[in-house]
Amino acid sequence: MATGDPIVRHVVTFGRVLREVGLEVGPGRVIDGLRALDAVDLTRQEDVYFALRQTLVSRQDELDLFDRAFLAWFLRAPVIPPQRLVKPVPQLQRLADTLADKGSGEEVGGDDPLELGASGQELLREKDFGEMSADEFRRVRRLMLEIARRRPQRSSRRRTADPRGELLDMRRMIRKSLRTGGDAVDRAFRTRKRVPRKLVVLCDVSGSMDSYARALLLFLHAVVGSGSGVEAFAFGTRLSRLTPDLGTRDPEAALEKCTAAVVDWGSGTRIGASLKEFNDTWGKRALSRGAVVVVVSDGWEREDPALVGREMAKIGRAAYAVVWVNPLKGNPEYQPLAGGMRAALPHVDRFLAGHNLRSLEELAAVLAGIERRHAA
Amino acid sequence: MAFRTIDDLEHALRGADYLPDRGLSTALFLALALEKPLLLEGEAGVGKTEAAKSLATCLGARLIRLQCYEGLDVAHAVYEWNYPRQLLHIRAAQEGTVSEDELFGPEFLIRRPLLEAIDSEEPVVLLIDEIDRADEEFEAFLLEVLSDFQITIPELGTIRSRRRPAVILTSNRTRELHDALKRRALFHWIGHPSIEREIEIVRLRVPGIPERLAAEAAAFVRELRGLDLAKPPGVAETIDWAMALNALGRQEIDAEVVEQTLGSVLKYREDIEEVRDETLARLVDAARATAR
Repeated sequence: MATGDPIVRHVVTFGRVLREVGLEVGPGRVIDGLRALDAVDLTRQEDVYFALRQTLVSRQDELDLFDRAFLAWFLRAPVIPPQRLVKPVPQLQRLADTLADKGSGEEVGGDDPLELGASGQELLREKDFGEMSADEFRRVRRLMLEIARRRPQRSSRRRTADPRGELLDMRRMIRKSLRTGGDAVDRAFRTRKRVPRKLVVLCDVSGSMDSYARALLLFLHAVVGSGSGVEAFAFGTRLSRLTPDLGTRDPEAALEKCTAAVVDWGSGTRIGASLKEFNDTWGKRALSRGAVVVVVSDGWEREDPALVGREMAKIGRAAYAVVWVNPLKGNPEYQPLAGGMRAALPHVDRFLAGHNLRSLEELAAVLAGIERRHAA
Repeated sequence: MAFRTIDDLEHALRGADYLPDRGLSTALFLALALEKPLLLEGEAGVGKTEAAKSLATCLGARLIRLQCYEGLDVAHAVYEWNYPRQLLHIRAAQEGTVSEDELFGPEFLIRRPLLEAIDSEEPVVLLIDEIDRADEEFEAFLLEVLSDFQITIPELGTIRSRRRPAVILTSNRTRELHDALKRRALFHWIGHPSIEREIEIVRLRVPGIPERLAAEAAAFVRELRGLDLAKPPGVAETIDWAMALNALGRQEIDAEVVEQTLGSVLKYREDIEEVRDETLARLVDAARATAR
């Protein structure tokens, strides 16, 4: 097919349409699409549809966008053209601003917590996130990074050379034994590699958690940055997946993206419904299987607490261990009376506070050494 | 290329007792025509693995299957040296003057699925099953193999494929695959079949099943898929269940027999509980109405 060919023009333009609605359609895919069209009967609409879909799209959750674009473009069907979702303007912009170092002269070293002096740092450790100023907040950032690095581990089935290992490394041993006439004088060992355990964090960003959300998001950003195998979600009335957005190295940019991704900042809470959404779309894909699942929420459920219990039970069955972090627990007077919280507790392995830096340290220590409550 | 048109391939697949929908036929056809790996995703039990097997059958090709799991490494996927034989060989050469070249020659090589597929003289369908279970290191290695269709063994050199195997990858999406791998492959999402097709599949797979029973079983499973279940039944479950019903000598379904045999359709206790009692009676009625 030559470049002047109407089909080529059509497909190239269609590729552009798809890119505009947010699909990643590079030139390689467009070429594949053209090759595929070359191989099928162009008079059969169904074949043209599948040929393009199978070459241009590689994710199930993009199929719907593709379908709408295909209808609009090739069939000129009277459908609403697909549009990239325009996200509501960030209420969290304020947060992103306070986190940005720009213009405040912090680069000179002001955000180094060590420069606070020992007592200053101690105070900051104990201070409730809800009461911190933007300035104090900046200071705890680095401490958070350190905490986030401590991840739960498990042994992998992959093996690595280790002189103190327990498994014989036959390949290396045979090679070595050549020198000694076949006698394995030198033995070589391997051991199972330790790798970070999957970690899934579900963070409540509804109105009642507002004052903590920024700190916890920052913490999430640090955790996601600690390596692969971390999935982060936010929920209020519905669930948003934050992992790709938090993957941005720069915390300011990451938070901006998160703000755009979460549709219901500071709204009401539907914990049960959100957990159900998680179980239905992600739990079914075994995301939580063998993982440590951390739920961060005050447990104020607006709807039926029984649903919270049911969905937590599902999470508990799939997960290696379940941790619930509740900022309210920082208050010594606190009793888990909220319905959602009470319903969830039977399925929770560790119940922790998360209102200040000290409690996040505790969380990190728990995560690093967490043991499975239930066998099987 | 063995098939000139999608219709030809579809016809051949039917001959191999597999009833693909148009989308899957197109995907398999394009994988052959463009010589590209095909990534199949879809709920459990929609026939991803079966598609690869049937493709091999109707191509008259050998099916080589690599089942992925976490920790899968080169020694299990590509090749391994035969250590016991090597040791014996060193012993047998009394003086201990065995050279390394001799010891790491082809006769001491154990060939695993990927090497088998690359080095095969005969046509091959390579099924890389549940790639999402392998870890990312292995995925990166696989990407290399799938771009060059060659494998390097340090002791022996590089082995290139003389004829590219048809490659089918399946994934249950327990994790997102790497973009680079996805870019290299065609992608097809297999959904649940239409009810007409599912009836057809049941009648093909359960020989002698009464027409009415096949229709009601398929319709009932479709009702189940409309519920909010932990694990909605796939085609594989429909077939199992239809076999059970047929073995019981039923002509049609009723609440009682469904209750007795529910375990072959639903595999989770909470799903079975969800469907008991009045829900079950309602679903049976709905299914019987649809099948009429």
